[in-house]
Amino acid sequence: MDQIARHINYDALNDAELDALERKIAAKYIQKSTLGIIVWGFSNTLIWLSLWPLVILGLVPIWAAFPIAVINVCAAYLPSHDAQHSIIAREGQKLRWLNELLGHVSLVPFAQAFRYLRFTHFEHHSHTNNPELDPDFDVHAENRRAYFKNALMRKQPASSARKDLYANALERTNQSYAAVDAVVIRSAYTLILFFAAYNGYAIEAALLWWLPLHIADIYIPYYLSWKPHHPGEEQGRYKDTYAFKSHMGNIFSSGMQFHVVHHLYPRIPLMHTPAAFREMRPILLRRGCDLHGM
Amino acid sequence: MELLLKLIFSPIVFGLLFLGPLIAQSMTAMDLQLFAIPNLLLGHVIGGAWGLIAKLKGSWLWIK
Repeated sequence: MDQIARHINYDALNDAELDALERKIAAKYIQKSTLGIIVWGFSNTLIWLSLWPLVILGLVPIWAAFPIAVINVCAAYLPSHDAQHSIIAREGQKLRWLNELLGHVSLVPFAQAFRYLRFTHFEHHSHTNNPELDPDFDVHAENRRAYFKNALMRKQPASSARKDLYANALERTNQSYAAVDAVVIRSAYTLILFFAAYNGYAIEAALLWWLPLHIADIYIPYYLSWKPHHPGEEQGRYKDTYAFKSHMGNIFSSGMQFHVVHHLYPRIPLMHTPAAFREMRPILLRRGCDLHGM
Repeated sequence: MELLLKLIFSPIVFGLLFLGPLIAQSMTAMDLQLFAIPNLLLGHVIGGAWGLIAKLKGSWLWIK
């Protein structure tokens, strides 16, 4: 109803006019409510945490808790991703504390460090598809089968490619201190697994955290890094990210069908990227974006 | 500190301290016992050996 661009002949617009229109649409969506992602982030962590006492006390069977934990861990990254881009509040704004709190708390089930992911993610945005500088470049694979094989191989003790890419990105930006956060959190995660296992809760720890984390560690990069950038050969504002139609639908593909909008305007809240995409679509087509028929 | 971190993230330690109890508790949950060997001992042997092989081969799955 409140579409900015209506009845416009896009072919008649020059680059400057397209740019102005694109920015105007983005500005409208950047201001949209972020309440949904805030509720999602905190409630997702709370539900996952509550599974532990519920299972240990025998109130919920482990077979029922396992799929819930998988969903929780797979859903843990995205609220933090919005927080990484300061979508809830920028530095100096009143709700900045909430932005940062969401970033940290939502990542608990994913056992990852907020600053570590934020700093390396900014490098991914700055150098998308650059083999030397994009810290997520190692996810690229020629097809889905190769992606899953690579994802399994990245988890093996001998694989250090991702750690090296992330460490290099932090070093380049003088933010190596954030790696300490990652080491502390991963150490705590591992020690909790050992502690639980030694106190008779190995099956619970495996099915509430260890296995869901492995699944999430394959699922999240698939939709956030591989699919929207595949084949990862082009660089440039309108060339490095694509729209795609997922058989899993928008929710189960983590809203990444419209990832192209996120790379153009990272401060548009995740939940509003589909609407922003629909409004920007004619402009993106004029810009030469590959939208795969979306 | 470096040694401590190496220990925490070592496949052998993971095999012993997590996979071992996991194997043992899974066997107990399924009412399984091999001869008269305590499940935890068997879990440690399997988990520790798997961790050792993972360390030597660089892979838990033994694939390249």
